[in-house]
Amino acid sequence: MAKKTYDLLFKLLLIGDSGVGKTCILFRFSDNHFTTTFISTIGIDFKIKTVELRGKKIKLQIWDTAGQERFHTITTSYYRGAMGIMLVYDISNEKTFDDIVKWLRNIDEHANEDVEKMILGNKCDMEEKRVVSKERGEAIAREHGIRFMETSAKSNINIDRAFSELAEAILDKSAGREADADHARIAVERRPSRAPPARACCS
Amino acid sequence: MSEAEITTNTGDSPNDLVENGLNKLVVKCKYCGSKILDKKLGKYILQEKELPLMQQDTRKEGEIQNEKVNQFYHVENMFTFDNIGFTHTVDCYKYLSCADCDAGPVGYYDMNSKHSYVALSRIEHA
Ligand SMILES: Nc1nc2c(ncn2[C@@H]2O[C@H](COP(=O)(O)OP(=O)(O)OP(=O)(O)O)[C@@H](O)[C@H]2O)c(=O)[nH]1
Ligand SMILES: [Mg+2]
Ligand SMILES: [Zn+2]
Repeated sequence: MAKKTYDLLFKLLLIGDSGVGKTCILFRFSDNHFTTTFISTIGIDFKIKTVELRGKKIKLQIWDTAGQERFHTITTSYYRGAMGIMLVYDISNEKTFDDIVKWLRNIDEHANEDVEKMILGNKCDMEEKRVVSKERGEAIAREHGIRFMETSAKSNINIDRAFSELAEAILDKSAGREADADHARIAVERRPSRAPPARACCS
Repeated sequence: MSEAEITTNTGDSPNDLVENGLNKLVVKCKYCGSKILDKKLGKYILQEKELPLMQQDTRKEGEIQNEKVNQFYHVENMFTFDNIGFTHTVDCYKYLSCADCDAGPVGYYDMNSKHSYVALSRIEHA
């Protein structure tokens, strides 16, 4: 029996219109020397990150999704099992902000009922191009009872903080019902044995 | 990536890095020090694999340069990792990268077995 290396596992998603910066949020904005690597050419599917919150070791599995309309069916399939969703818009693009409402409806239709959400106004480094004020971001978040933060993938502002806050919110939700949390953990640990037999993907 | 010739022979494992067939030290990113894998969680194995170079020569467009790597830490469950990135799937594999600075590949993930392999030469021991 393998040693248990964590207490909880949270699956998180990044969603939002095309171009808002989801991929950059997951894949560190690379104006460093890794820009032309093999990894940047293939692209990141998901990351696993470990955070410690209130004495609990929590693994975050963070998935990127595609914002383009033609990928929506695929994007929706990622919702299954997601415990947290980062809903991203671009503060320099009005349309991406207006579409937040559409994405929220989409989440209501396809995600778990108790999924924890957070709205991110990304590209806050571009003050001179801003068309959506921070107040409007806060207002829409308040209206839907969701957390809000402005971020910049480029300048690495609030990215880690946003993920810890989302994780903390999920933890809070499960706090009053530790039994449920334990249950979720057991489900996670058992997953490998319940998984369908390995599919040969390269026969 | 070329076919592997898996040998479970760990007879000549490096003593300063491997103890009881497991990594004696913490596995970290060579470039930023991000913690990838805690001690004693990766099983040392020898197998010959071709991995794309971390730094590709951009002048040779459309051509991926590989190198042969043969020492790996085998990790059965992906959630054993502390911090790690998984690329999109190429053939049967996902490549592993540093979750903090995106350097890689530091290893690969086999879609069929769902096991991960970290190349000793692509990481730092601490
Ligand atoms: N100034 C600035 N530009 C950003 C930021 N984040 C992303 N960008 C730029 O926005 C563009 C789109 O970013 P992506 O991360 O590819 O957008 P995406 O949300 O993944 O888009 P899809 O994959 O099509 O859904 C790129 O040109 C980035 O360089 C940011 O924080 N600040
Ligand atoms: Mg993207
Ligand atoms: Zn790194």
